[in-house]
Amino acid sequence: MLRYAIGRLIQAAVAVFGVITIVFVVMHVSGDPTLLLVPQGASAEEIAALRHQLGFDQPILTQYLAYLAGLAHFDFGISVVQRVPAIDIVLSRLPYTIYLAAGALTVAVGAGIPVGILMAANKGTLVERALAAVVLTGQSVPTFLSGILLILIFAVELRWLPTSGVGSLSALIMPSIALGALSMSTFARMMRIAMVDELGKDYVRAARARGLSMRAVVMRHVLRNSAIPVITVAALEIGNLLAGAVIVETVFAWPGIGQLAIQSIQSRDFLVVQVIVLLISFIYVATSVAADFAYAAIDPRIRLAR
Amino acid sequence: MSDIHRPLLSVENLTIEIDGAGVVDGVSFAVRPGEVLALVGESGCGKSLTSHALLGLLPDVARLTSGRVLLGDTDLAALPERALRKARGKDVSIIFQEPSASLDPLTTVGSQIAEALRQHEKVSRGEAMARARAMLDAVGIPDPDRRLHQYPFELSGGMCQRVMIAVALICGPRVLVADEPTTALDVTIQAQILDLMKRLVAERGTSIVLITHDMGVVADIADHVAVMYAGRIAEIAPVDDLFARPAHPYTALLLASVPRLDVAPKAELATIDGTVPSPQEFGAGCRFAGRCPLVSDRCRTEQPPLFEERPGHRTACWHRERVGEITRAAA
Repeated sequence: MLRYAIGRLIQAAVAVFGVITIVFVVMHVSGDPTLLLVPQGASAEEIAALRHQLGFDQPILTQYLAYLAGLAHFDFGISVVQRVPAIDIVLSRLPYTIYLAAGALTVAVGAGIPVGILMAANKGTLVERALAAVVLTGQSVPTFLSGILLILIFAVELRWLPTSGVGSLSALIMPSIALGALSMSTFARMMRIAMVDELGKDYVRAARARGLSMRAVVMRHVLRNSAIPVITVAALEIGNLLAGAVIVETVFAWPGIGQLAIQSIQSRDFLVVQVIVLLISFIYVATSVAADFAYAAIDPRIRLAR
Repeated sequence: MSDIHRPLLSVENLTIEIDGAGVVDGVSFAVRPGEVLALVGESGCGKSLTSHALLGLLPDVARLTSGRVLLGDTDLAALPERALRKARGKDVSIIFQEPSASLDPLTTVGSQIAEALRQHEKVSRGEAMARARAMLDAVGIPDPDRRLHQYPFELSGGMCQRVMIAVALICGPRVLVADEPTTALDVTIQAQILDLMKRLVAERGTSIVLITHDMGVVADIADHVAVMYAGRIAEIAPVDDLFARPAHPYTALLLASVPRLDVAPKAELATIDGTVPSPQEFGAGCRFAGRCPLVSDRCRTEQPPLFEERPGHRTACWHRERVGEITRAAA
């Protein structure tokens, strides 16, 4: 187990280092980064001064080491638009994205897993087909359309929920559904496939032969075995939720990382974009590490492997 | 008249259909207390379906259309699911062909044995584990205290089958159904598992319905043999009588195809030409007619009933008096 854990953490560290380096390369080798940072219409002197101030006239290796040293001190540079540390801007928006992602994940897991279980348990019946229609809808309707439809129905017509903003918990409901719908379908499909697969295995028949009811077999044995592939999906879905947040946050005027990313790209606030890219990459890596540890917690074949 | 001669389990006219085809057709046999009945036949002859039907564990596609499974005075085939669950693992247990796959990979073997006990008896977790440990010891697993807390992947196939036997026997069932319990195991392990089953029969008086295609296993452990062919009983007899004087051409050919050490080898080991017909190919007559060396016109049109050839020895063949020709030709 210890070897497994250390191995996974080393892999994660390598991945994080790779991300940091790629972000540096994209920014510094694909052209003069000064041009990305200056306001539009700046004079040649202003550009040269900024280039010197930021150290972009130094050799590339020196710049890389300075960049790494900066990251080590949690220094991600100053936003050229807002004149405050880029990291502060991103961190001020982060809680909103966390709320939204948590809300969407609640929708995705809370609806997707039960739907998948019901589909597997009622394989070949009308129940499965009805649920399959729900799943298909969830994965086919694009987020920008479902978001606008939700606003139209529940905010404009029924006036149950606010159209946008972050004033209350009720404001979180529609963005969470719009963002979570696609993931819900993914969870439902994966859970269904995993469970149908497990239900066909010999240990299910053997457990029934001990006198267990089908329900007891599912609760005690099948669900845990089905969880392993679903965890893999969960780790990837958390990353997809963050990516999908860009659209949902724009539709619902939700002041999270996604909206900030759009604004920063539009205002050429490149250092803020860089922090967002790094942050989302770290979250991706962290969730896969979490998934690896979850496998070990569930599956003794991984936990006890030497 | 003592109870000992009354059958403990008696299967009457069992018929199972898949997509309207009778894949098991009117199968009847009986097992007395402490007796081992072997159900023998090629792959696809319906012997596994028959054995699973005894516990009401047929796959979704198969349907039991008629017949009774009498355990004492109770017809298991007529019981509703809830009542049947009370019998499964307690009155009738089953072990399967793939022992490693029959255990949940994420649960320790101890708790899977304990689960079977706690399903039928009100005992504490600690007591259930103590009895699971005793059961592991009884099925000959060394170091049971350690094994109790291990997972199936840490055990060999033979050990997993011992665990399955422990699961099956912990509630002291009257009948153990063993569906090819040694097919997936090494030959040396096969012998150990068979010895274990023989010992358990002797110690506990458990009856065994053993499904196998291995005549060597039959000779080793069975008291009675039912030979199945294409979903029907071809011949049923005490083991010695069946081996000495088979009265069905299929049985005679099966026995002739078993390699023997006490007979000088002829040019080639005998085989039975052709394959078992699929349920769609079943005709009105004897289902073995297409492969039978003694076949006549009557065999193709008229299904032979089970004739009582000798006391306790029944065979479904119109030409049973000529079966000796096959046996002599093979010898």
